Amino acid sequence: MELIENIQKGERAAIAKAITLVESSKDSDQQISRQLISELIKKPGKSIRIGFSGPPGVGKSTFIESFGSYLVTQNYKLGILAIDPSSQITGGSILGDKTRMVEISKNPNTFIRSTPSRGALGGISMGTREASIILDAAGYDFIFIETVGVGQSEIVASNLVDIFTLIVGPGSGDELQGIKKGITEYADIFIVNKNDGELKIEASKTAADYKSALSYYKKLDELEKQVLLVSAIKQTGMEDVIKTINQIVDQNKQKGIFEERRADQLEYWIEEEVKNIIASDITKRLSSKGNISKYSEKVMKNEISMYEAVETITKDTLK
Amino acid sequence: MTNKSNNGFNTWQKSFEKETKKNLSDAKSETDEGIDIKPVYTKDDLENFSFVENNSLPGQWPYTRGPKASMYTNRPWTIRQYAGFSTAEESNEFYKKNLESGQKGLSVAFDLPTHRGYDSDDDLVMGDVGKAGVAIDTVEDMKILFNNIPLDQMSVSMTMNGAVLPVLASFIVAGEEQGVDRSLLSGTIQNDILKEFMVRNTYIYPPEPSMKIVADIIEFTSKEMPKFNSISISGYHMQEAGADNVLELAYTLADGMEYVRAAMSKGLDVDDFAPRLSFFFAIGTDFFMEIAKLRAARTLWAKIMKDFGAKKERSLILRTHCQTSGVSLTEKDPYNNIIRTSYEALSAILGGTQSLHTNSFDEAIALPTDESARIARNTQLILQNETGVTKTVDPLAGSYFVENLTDELSKKAWDIITEIEELGGMTKAVKAGVPKLKIEESATKKQAKVDSGSRVVVGVNKYKNPKEPSVDVRVIDNNRVRDDQIKKIQSVKDSRETKAVEKALENVTNAAKDEKNLLIPCIEAIKLRATVGEVSKALEQVYGRHFAKSLSVSGVYGKHFEGDKDFMNVEKKVIDFENTNGRRPRVLVVKIGQDGHDRGAKIVATSFADMGFDVDMGPLFQSPKDVAKDAIENDVHAIGVSTLAAGHKTLVPELMKALSNIDPKSKIIVFVGGIIPEQDYEFLYKNNVSAIFGPGSNIIECAEKVIDLISDNLSKE
Repeated sequence: MELIENIQKGERAAIAKAITLVESSKDSDQQISRQLISELIKKPGKSIRIGFSGPPGVGKSTFIESFGSYLVTQNYKLGILAIDPSSQITGGSILGDKTRMVEISKNPNTFIRSTPSRGALGGISMGTREASIILDAAGYDFIFIETVGVGQSEIVASNLVDIFTLIVGPGSGDELQGIKKGITEYADIFIVNKNDGELKIEASKTAADYKSALSYYKKLDELEKQVLLVSAIKQTGMEDVIKTINQIVDQNKQKGIFEERRADQLEYWIEEEVKNIIASDITKRLSSKGNISKYSEKVMKNEISMYEAVETITKDTLK
Repeated sequence: MTNKSNNGFNTWQKSFEKETKKNLSDAKSETDEGIDIKPVYTKDDLENFSFVENNSLPGQWPYTRGPKASMYTNRPWTIRQYAGFSTAEESNEFYKKNLESGQKGLSVAFDLPTHRGYDSDDDLVMGDVGKAGVAIDTVEDMKILFNNIPLDQMSVSMTMNGAVLPVLASFIVAGEEQGVDRSLLSGTIQNDILKEFMVRNTYIYPPEPSMKIVADIIEFTSKEMPKFNSISISGYHMQEAGADNVLELAYTLADGMEYVRAAMSKGLDVDDFAPRLSFFFAIGTDFFMEIAKLRAARTLWAKIMKDFGAKKERSLILRTHCQTSGVSLTEKDPYNNIIRTSYEALSAILGGTQSLHTNSFDEAIALPTDESARIARNTQLILQNETGVTKTVDPLAGSYFVENLTDELSKKAWDIITEIEELGGMTKAVKAGVPKLKIEESATKKQAKVDSGSRVVVGVNKYKNPKEPSVDVRVIDNNRVRDDQIKKIQSVKDSRETKAVEKALENVTNAAKDEKNLLIPCIEAIKLRATVGEVSKALEQVYGRHFAKSLSVSGVYGKHFEGDKDFMNVEKKVIDFENTNGRRPRVLVVKIGQDGHDRGAKIVATSFADMGFDVDMGPLFQSPKDVAKDAIENDVHAIGVSTLAAGHKTLVPELMKALSNIDPKSKIIVFVGGIIPEQDYEFLYKNNVSAIFGPGSNIIECAEKVIDLISDNLSKE
């Protein structure tokens, strides 16, 4: 495929077109996309994939702008996949992430793609994993995956990345109780942003709170969870972030955790794909038979019970 | 006995209901501000006022009826036309001609690079030099601008906010080198940075240091320039950006309060500077509302200043300049604009403005020509000399309707002001982005009313002219202007003492670090021939440049079109498109260059998204190269360029070049919207622009055209 060569040459337009293909809902596009990904995956690049998540308002995009600007001055090539929430009412989206990434979006060593979430679970859109494979093949050193909100998204996002980072704001220590064990397990680094001006003391205090709370969750083989203080606006603490990332990557590689994670993720991916295919097949069958409304009427009239209806429809559909 | 209980009113009500076949209670009409206008007002409506005082007189508390006792009966308002373009030489010629034809004061428009603190030779500004105003790089330009205009006699208003320090410094030095002491300079500097963060976007530094600069200027002028207005607190640009009159009024006064606090924090007594605060409002087409707004503004400001502890009467009085509305002008059937402007001017006069700019009818298309500028000026000369409106002070006082509306508007604005104060004042509100979002919401609503036809705009969505007239426009060759400016900068740089300039610029930087008054070292640097760009950079070293976060509204536009056939038709086309192409039509909406007027771009973005498009928003102040990178990486189908500052003839071809540099096979189509003279259409089409949408375009029609163009383009593959 000519497309593959052009991606490997790092041609911007080719990368962009390929991402469009993997995001497309058109059957013919999906077929090409499968071929493409099957080829690219054979020759993995050297990218480290980092997930960034955090509640709205903590300055995720501003942090990425700031950290990204720092990385490109160190001559790293940086790919960014930003998932923007789309409006549920109209289905259209305003993709405004780049208005907060003014400097890095201009830099020739970056590639920034925004994708509407289309209400997908966890804010990870269809094609995010594939898009990161494309950027990897194109030779980007780091791939950032930025997701919306906090909750389910971490778990889905953490299955796409080598390092998962949670960005929080000063004073969020109280929310610690709200942070489920799951998320602390998935996150490798906690970044406390807004360590500047009047908020400085509050930020240090929050970092200390996180450190003490997280010490309980230390897993045997893994590195201790890292808590870092930064100011995105003043661009301070960025060296620590990259140092910590490199450290974790090195250690994980030495201990085999890095490869293990990627293997787990592949497993998860296969499982997900299978589920997706089955689910879409079932959805098609369900709608073509139109059984559900027929049985629900019967349930309403008390002719059969709800569970009887479920059982009958299931049997009928899986036939 | 009140009117409503007497027989007369009952009889009137019966007749009214019979004539209209409606209950009186249903016969109200709601304004953009959410005020219900009744079909009739009576003496009862003069009761229970919260702010208006029924028996007040002009020049007396609460100044509803005007700042002065005699108003226009003694001296009519000042005809002050805002102008400036190209080089200082050409603007100077234009000013002198206008002064000979009866204009009384000057109002300088600067070009965007000057506003944003860039010299004309900066690569970032190549499309913007001399376009929407005059280019000022050094004090030499400022001297040329006022050549043969004695600055001790002429009052000069300068619309400058971002680069306010070097520009005011240049004005002061130009005066001194004309032999005029700074204490004799009269006029106004806009110096209103808060509204820049809300709507106009020609800021340079972040909000806090920007507020410090405002306060420095108030401090300096209150001590050294007693005849000079240190600030012009402006609602104008808010209305232009789509704010209704309540928002305009409330935010402007709330801005004013913030400036008063900033000045007081410098240790100034409120009475030392309050008399030199001035205001600037827009006058749109809602005739009585605009009159009520000016009366309400004076009423509320008097109360606000009294609460600040002002003792001098002059501190309590709001004096204002007004300008007729630019957004009310249409590209279609442009001579209608003369009529619109005339009514707006009359509103401003009946509201009691101190000075007025009337727009030229061609300003929806381009910069005014000598001829259109003359008509605009004569609109005011006719009002002053032929209509008799100057003979009575505040002639609408006592009108049941106008007095009631004045109080209603005051109440609504006061509620918003109170809310903002509770948030901690306007700087905080602006940083949180709340006012900006509210204004955008209001703008989107207004646009939806016009597009859905529920608001009639003559010649645009009704009574269209079957034979659109063609209009001559003023053309600026910005490449020539830029070349001229670059030469001038070079010759200034060649003849100045480099060492001394460097030292002076260092002093500017240090003053910023030490939080000293900044105007004083800026005057020194400018005197030594430092450029506007150099002084701005010296400050940038300490403050940095501000980049605004961009928030957007959604759902506001679509809400007005539930069940609308055309709207649903586009929605359906979007879904069909997705089914055929595997994704939705994706459009990047951008501003290019230094033009920060983003109302149009924002409205297009939010309404397209409401129709189901995926819309990418680019940051402000991008170069064509940045836009091309953004468009290609996101693989958009189309780029929509919003242009209001006449830079399109340079910037659009640059964009096309940048696109094909990255991807020679790029299939991205480009459409352009905004203020584009018809004369430029052919040029743009030749440069492969696919569609052009002028002011007053129906957005649903635009969206349909864009999706059709994209589909056509894809089917060619």
